[in-house]
Amino acid sequence: MSQPISVSHEMDLAWRYASGEAMERFCAGLTDGRIEALRCAACGLRYLPPRPFCGDCRARLTEWVAVGDEGKLEAWTEVQVPMLDAGTGRPRATPFAIGLVRLEGADTTLNHFLAETGAGRLRVGARVRARWRSERAGTMADIECFEVIG
Amino acid sequence: MIRRLPIRMPFHYAAGASASRFFEVLRDQGRILGRRCTGCRRVLCPATAFCALCGEPTDEWVEVGPGGELLSWTEVPGRGAYALVRLDGGDTAMLHRLLAADAAPRIGDRVRARLADTRAGGILDLEGFELVGEEEVT
Amino acid sequence: MRPVAIIGTGQTRHSKRRDDVSQPELVREAAAAALADADLRPAEVDAILISNMELFEGRAFPELWAGAGAWAIGKPCLKIATGGTSGTSACIAAFHQVAAGCFDTVLVVGFEKHSEGHTQAGMALTDPYWDRSVAAGALGNFALSVCQYVQERGVSERQAAMVAVKARRNAAANPHAHLQLPDLTIEEVLASPVIAAPLRRLDMCPQSDGAAALVVAGEASARRRCRRPAWVKAAVTRHDKPYLGDLDRRLATMRTLRQAAAVAYRQAGIDDPVRDLDVAEIYEPVTYAELAWYEALGFCPDGEAGRLIEDGVTAMDGALPVNPSGGVLSTNPVGASGVIRVAEAALQLHGKGGARQVEGARRALATGYGVYAWSDVIVLESAA
Repeated sequence: MSQPISVSHEMDLAWRYASGEAMERFCAGLTDGRIEALRCAACGLRYLPPRPFCGDCRARLTEWVAVGDEGKLEAWTEVQVPMLDAGTGRPRATPFAIGLVRLEGADTTLNHFLAETGAGRLRVGARVRARWRSERAGTMADIECFEVIG
Repeated sequence: MIRRLPIRMPFHYAAGASASRFFEVLRDQGRILGRRCTGCRRVLCPATAFCALCGEPTDEWVEVGPGGELLSWTEVPGRGAYALVRLDGGDTAMLHRLLAADAAPRIGDRVRARLADTRAGGILDLEGFELVGEEEVT
Repeated sequence: MRPVAIIGTGQTRHSKRRDDVSQPELVREAAAAALADADLRPAEVDAILISNMELFEGRAFPELWAGAGAWAIGKPCLKIATGGTSGTSACIAAFHQVAAGCFDTVLVVGFEKHSEGHTQAGMALTDPYWDRSVAAGALGNFALSVCQYVQERGVSERQAAMVAVKARRNAAANPHAHLQLPDLTIEEVLASPVIAAPLRRLDMCPQSDGAAALVVAGEASARRRCRRPAWVKAAVTRHDKPYLGDLDRRLATMRTLRQAAAVAYRQAGIDDPVRDLDVAEIYEPVTYAELAWYEALGFCPDGEAGRLIEDGVTAMDGALPVNPSGGVLSTNPVGASGVIRVAEAALQLHGKGGARQVEGARRALATGYGVYAWSDVIVLESAA
């Protein structure tokens, strides 16, 4: 019986994605520090990320509503595993905290980085606020993270 | 709006039971092996555990090549030429580099496998196939 | 619809790394085992369905190159990839093909070799405009969902640890299982490191290399070839909205599983699942999910899942043994995991469970769970 032979390699993959109309407007807003959601006229749900249709009502979404950059922490975790950063292809420094944030004026939650780790001030129901970058490019990274306030 | 997002992903592939021996013998002895199918009796190269043509298991090692017949070829500008070759003693076509393609190869030409100087246990242990010159065909 | 049954199952040895076989060879192992169990020759198979998340291995067209391992050459062969539900989806597709009369005998093979790629990198390829930059794998998603579930339902770390212990001890009686820990204790689970609060290492499923297969047949073939066919009484799929943040309190509500179970129970004539089912193989990638699924599947009222595990209702000697195989918590080659659930449920009805056999099992449940919220629910019965 031969020794098993295997090959290892790294593959650099390059992709380009079209945003679609709704996300294009949303991203343009981020550049100006503005968050907007699309509201379903049928069920009233205010969607982030904005998208063309309501999955529940099969209705086209056209009504833009303003969303605040403060909200409530609905869930959080502190990750100890060096997850691969899909933006860079490199492992992330640990620990890092992520959370589900329900922004004022939106009905879905947003998952994003949290400014602090540890169970001290991170708790379900905590008030959080977006920490904006000064240089913005119209991507979600324009919000660096959310920080606990109050 | 368009975003460009590259990502680097690591992969690792096990050659498996049959191909491991194929690569081991290629690396250590510079010989090319095929496997004979128990069903259709064809010799498959590169070697696999079961027949890609009829699905039956393979059971016998058969040395093939290093000479063979050029079944098809193409040249990709800036990247070189590629060949489909049926090695002598084998029944399937192997895809690999065609070396020195400027000699204007023709389908049916005789070719010969050229081994890489340093071999690591992969398909690039074969550098490719080179055309066998007229003078060598006797 | 025409009656459809599972008449044979087969699995490979599952482990962290199967460098001894290539992907097609791994598929061949499971396919050959299932055909042998069904006493079927490869030539007698009409069509093949392959379940695999090719993104995890980075190898294109698994239905082509690994399909060769399932004798697919010259036959209809399709691949199904729907995250964790891939395997159950492929089984349901096979049921539909046979029920519709398209084919008489369909071979389903699920496989994954997580050792050959980077699963978390594959899972990080979410919406590039929305949440890709924050993607933290299945672990991150589960941790956030579990955080809410714990807050809402008050289940304890200890109750989750009991699920971890049940799974790995059951796995010790399953020769195919990856993690076999016959002596695991609650204390050891609670002492394992926190990898994403509140989840500990032993709360999570492993990443496995492995394959599983089963044979689906129409009524006449099933009766001729199988002593106790596992008849399909219900097979229901529900998908949901695409983003992690779309659904409120994901584990606590789990509307896809609740909807699919309600329809499947109605079709199969199940009023009280704990009473009417003999065994369940549910897709629980994390301990807390098993507790949440108890509620979604109606094994207990909402808020009482912790009591159910404490009372041993779902233990091997309980009223409804859940995951005699050890479940996803013990073995998780994703493309195969859903096929394993269905194969293990069928195996129980075939009476071939060996040391993990639930005596006299006549009615079995199998479920699939995919990405954030997709669910499959299948009910099998050993008498038509």
